[in-house]
Amino acid sequence: MADKKAVGHAYNIDFLNVIFAASSILLFISTLWMVWDDYDREWKNYQRRFVQLETEVTRVALEAANAEVDPAVLEQLEADRATAEAALVGQEEQLTALEAQEAAVAIELTVASQIHQFAKADYDVDKYTLEIDREGAEEGAFAEREAEVAAQYDEWLTLGLEAERLTAERDGLRGQISEIRQGVTDLDDEIRGLTSETTRLEELLADLAPSLIDDYLLNAPLIDFMAPSITVRQVILPNILDDLNFIRVPKMDRCMTCHLAIDREGYEAYPQPFATHPNLDTYVSSGSPHPLETTGCTVCHEGMPQSISFRDAAHTPVSLDQEHEWVEAYGWEEPHLWDYPMLPSGMAEASCAKCHLEEVHVPEAGVLNLAYGLYERAGCYTCHKTAGFEELREPGPSLRRIGAKLTPEWVAGWIRDPRAIKQTTWMPRVWYGSNTSTPEDARRNEAEIDAAVAYLFAASTDFEFAVRSPRRGDAAEGQRLVESVGCLACHVAGDEGRLEAGPRRTFGQALQNIGSKTTYEWVFDWVRDPQHYSESTYMPDLRLTDDEAADVATYLMSLTGGTPRVAEATYDQAYADEVLLDYLKAIVPTAEAEATVAALSAEERTVELGERVIGRYGCFSCHDIPGFEETQPIGTELSEEGTKLITQLDFAHVEIPHTKIDWFENKLLDPGIYDENRVLQPLEKLRMPDYGFSEEETHLLVTAIMSFQREVQPTAALVPGSARQDALRVGRTLTRRRNCVACHEIENDGGDYVTLVDDPSLAPPLLTPQGAKVKPDWNYAFFKDPISIRPWLDVRMPTFDLEDEQWNELLGYFAAVSEAIGPFRAHTVASARGDFMATGEELFDLLRCQQCHVLDTIPEDQPTENLAPDLRMTPERLQADWVIDWIRIPQTIQPGTRMPAFWPNYPETFYQQFDQDAEQQIRSIRDHMLTFSGGPRPEEPVVQVGDQP
Amino acid sequence: MDAIKEFFNFFADPRVFFLLTTGAFVFAVWRRDLFVKPSVGYGLQIFLVLFFGLGLLDENFRLIIGKPDNVPIVGLIFLLLFFTWYSMRQAVLNDQRIANAEPVAEKVEEDRVWVWPDLVYIELICLVLCSVVLIVWSIVLKAPLEQPANAAATPNPSKAPWYFLGLQEMLVYFDPWLAGVVLPSLIIVGLMAIPYIDTNPKGNGYYTFKERKAEITIFLFGFVVLWSSLIVLGTFLRGPNWNFFGPFEYWDIHKLEALTNVNLSEYIWLRGLGVGMPSHWLFRELPGILLVSFYVFGLPVVFARTVFKRYYEKLGPARFYVTAFLFLSMLSLPVKMLARWLFNLKYVVAIGELFFNI
Repeated sequence: MADKKAVGHAYNIDFLNVIFAASSILLFISTLWMVWDDYDREWKNYQRRFVQLETEVTRVALEAANAEVDPAVLEQLEADRATAEAALVGQEEQLTALEAQEAAVAIELTVASQIHQFAKADYDVDKYTLEIDREGAEEGAFAEREAEVAAQYDEWLTLGLEAERLTAERDGLRGQISEIRQGVTDLDDEIRGLTSETTRLEELLADLAPSLIDDYLLNAPLIDFMAPSITVRQVILPNILDDLNFIRVPKMDRCMTCHLAIDREGYEAYPQPFATHPNLDTYVSSGSPHPLETTGCTVCHEGMPQSISFRDAAHTPVSLDQEHEWVEAYGWEEPHLWDYPMLPSGMAEASCAKCHLEEVHVPEAGVLNLAYGLYERAGCYTCHKTAGFEELREPGPSLRRIGAKLTPEWVAGWIRDPRAIKQTTWMPRVWYGSNTSTPEDARRNEAEIDAAVAYLFAASTDFEFAVRSPRRGDAAEGQRLVESVGCLACHVAGDEGRLEAGPRRTFGQALQNIGSKTTYEWVFDWVRDPQHYSESTYMPDLRLTDDEAADVATYLMSLTGGTPRVAEATYDQAYADEVLLDYLKAIVPTAEAEATVAALSAEERTVELGERVIGRYGCFSCHDIPGFEETQPIGTELSEEGTKLITQLDFAHVEIPHTKIDWFENKLLDPGIYDENRVLQPLEKLRMPDYGFSEEETHLLVTAIMSFQREVQPTAALVPGSARQDALRVGRTLTRRRNCVACHEIENDGGDYVTLVDDPSLAPPLLTPQGAKVKPDWNYAFFKDPISIRPWLDVRMPTFDLEDEQWNELLGYFAAVSEAIGPFRAHTVASARGDFMATGEELFDLLRCQQCHVLDTIPEDQPTENLAPDLRMTPERLQADWVIDWIRIPQTIQPGTRMPAFWPNYPETFYQQFDQDAEQQIRSIRDHMLTFSGGPRPEEPVVQVGDQP
Repeated sequence: MDAIKEFFNFFADPRVFFLLTTGAFVFAVWRRDLFVKPSVGYGLQIFLVLFFGLGLLDENFRLIIGKPDNVPIVGLIFLLLFFTWYSMRQAVLNDQRIANAEPVAEKVEEDRVWVWPDLVYIELICLVLCSVVLIVWSIVLKAPLEQPANAAATPNPSKAPWYFLGLQEMLVYFDPWLAGVVLPSLIIVGLMAIPYIDTNPKGNGYYTFKERKAEITIFLFGFVVLWSSLIVLGTFLRGPNWNFFGPFEYWDIHKLEALTNVNLSEYIWLRGLGVGMPSHWLFRELPGILLVSFYVFGLPVVFARTVFKRYYEKLGPARFYVTAFLFLSMLSLPVKMLARWLFNLKYVVAIGELFFNI
């Protein structure tokens, strides 16, 4: 054996003991910390706090419910009950015997039912085994077992009979008992009915009260994994998908883990996360069109659905102040776990478009509708292709005949800064932006402005005014006309701001300072017949006579003023040539560019530069400019901008929060912002023009942009398709795009013109009931040839130059809104015979219909607000069944109407003298009206053929 | 303060960083008597503590160091330096004892100790302490999760797991087939070949440097300089677009680096001879192919005949050539790095037609 050393120690064991003790204590502490960390999670604390809130709210509700109960009634009932109980005294013995008997039978029944169930289970098992065993066997090979199974079946039936017998016996005994106690039980029921709400609330309070088992056992730290009452709450939404790039999975929303009262009324006043949803009628509540169980939360609000921490749920602050507050309170940080952080408060309607695909007007979504209105008015869609906005015309006027309308000096001053001249205009400032304002930039700006104007006038075609040297009119009368015939529905003449006037009143160009802009001849020609100057204009014809047109034009020409921005550099031809060369060098070799410039005359060079400039800044997107008919727009397509990833946006060297919304907002507030601090050649600069958007406008436009989403949601999540839905969508689009809603209210939207008249009855009519009310063929004729239905109105229905296809869309829309039957219906014709008709006539006189309604002559001695349309139009114009509805419930069809309801207690009637009930009386008046004729009627629309050579 | 930050930012440039690590490594091995002094060892650790501690005052530094997935790499720096220093110190002390004809330290120690408590007890303590570390870690540091993966939008920078960052750094200098396939395979093959190549029995069971100079130096160079320090570089100093960022620099996605590199063939045909590129790739790339062939096949022979004649005789031809091949493969990385930095060399052999570039 080799030298075997003694066994020693490598460490000082006493020292190791100390280390071990210390590390064990550390382990103990860290384990406690771990348990506490789990117990102290924010959502658990919210649920604990919510119990207190719920107790508070329930207590208040209980007090209210108690106040509802009349103590005297309750006392009386209880006294009665005591009396009834006392009356049972003599029957005690009998009752006790019956109850004992009932209890014995009940036990017997339980046992019998169990035996019955066992027999069934045995039978099922044996039957199954037999079925399997005899598979493929010879006939009769299992006869014995078949007989056994049959016997089991019989036994089961027998046992069932026994159970039924016992049930009947028990019920009989119970019947006897309750018969004896009848008086008391009835009173019990009555008391329970009276106190059901208070009892429910009391039980709830008892549930909420601290309890040993719930609070100190099931929810205790470390053992709260078994059956805690504090749990993650979630909804799984099979019809709404989350796009995880490689797969689309059903959404799972857990927001209600903390937002505990989101679907419960009564918590409106509490702070988040305990507040009730602000719009339970439309969202979240089970009766709304978007219930929590099928719609969830994050499909609208965005954010990370499964997260149960404030930070990871990707909450988005509305302001920097809120951000600081959140950082402080919740450890908020920029979301990095989810590509689509929550939309800030007030912007959630952007998500409507996920399921309401390509709808220009989504009912109830006021913010989104306004946002789309601004988006359209600002003409964003012309440079930035946007799905759903393709079919629109350019938002700016046609510049094909600009020579007949404007002077180059005015145009140069105008495009230098349009809002210096017209504060309400949507025309943006192309030059002198934040990235083009140095003195060097100013030289170039002036060269480009001059060239662009030169091109426009060089390309302008000749135009003949319909009336040469028209006579002047009366400005005061013109002003009256402008303010009353309806011009102000689409135009602003005063100094209102863009947002204040809204997209509907800035539908047409602002009229400010128009007298300094153009000539009397042009304005006269335009108001007389807008299409004469521009075939593609949306401006309808108000059918002004030449005299009226002269008055209006004279008034408009009196609107002068506006100081154009002064040029910040003087125009310099040599420099302009350099600029042209710069443009050309970007597309052809330098030598070629120089040769091109050398070959042109000075004037040609300016025009050439103008063409390049217009092409670069995309003026042709908003204006019809000759030579740019096929040119592609200059902006990025925005059809899916809302789903764009933040990594695809260039924040350059600008210090702003790195969120999509901040990027868009800053871009809109200052389109040149991302050029800040960059070294750029002139042609490399950003060229989006500056609209001078206010913060509010910016917020709305960003809402619109965020609504342009990639389609992710399955058909099941979308608005269900139907012919009616299509008609609604198309009609809503048409009525908004053509600004019908500026004058008319339909589907609880629009009719803003009412604010411009003295009395609501003098405003253009409500169109919501139109589809049920007016016959479509009459309506169509009216569109083509608007006649005056209420001659005392100043405001006029203009003549719109729409195609028949669009008129049909509109009529289809009216029908869809009213859920009317299609266009073809038999005419209801009244035969003027019999008592029925006589009653109608008498009632017509009795109710003095003619006091307000025109019947050939306009009633005298009536204020205009009370006047109503000519009833002679009834048979041709109105749907016969609608007339009945109208006479019965005018207020329901048109809230605020002055038409009285003559049968307020329908189906009862005041007019007992007639041998008819209310319904018959209404019918007889209607039938009487159907005998009228000779009222005003629009021309039958015709297309003349056959007179060609 | 800013000047100090600039100073460190400058030293963190991959060129400076690599040369500095290599220089420090050479110094540590060459003047190991100085390196292993306790004052140097502790001084280095204290320097690191101060560097990271004070560095945390800087927001950019805090962002990159404090990222939950980067925290372990900070630990790696401390541990790597400590263990390198510690083993070198043990080796130097033993070398002195050997020189003084004393037995090595390990021989003097107790030969046999009790399983309980000497082994099991400290294992238990380790278990307890590791549990503490893991529990505290999991509470304090958030899981480094990201948004759902998206094939259309990969993260920038896209980083390999930390242990592959050395490989990813190699991709800057070599094509994927070389940096991602051939070289990693050679590393594994090389590690497996060590017992067959290294037949030196010295150093078994005790620390020594003098008796295993070449082995330890080559290993440390490969492990500390080429592998670990590139992991550190890849973790902390490579930012968006795989651009280099100093530790106190903001990771600006817009940062640009001028990277116009030239192939060897262009150097020779266009700049050197001025005759234009030959049309056939074989002829065009012939100089590069010859150069690489010489590096792989010629250089070992030259070494065997000249500087490493002694090794050749000691190891025999088979072992020598395998060793030389592996060693040269390892050195190909610093060689290519130097060529890139000094001459903007893109590829030695660039056969785009066959997707074959070296």
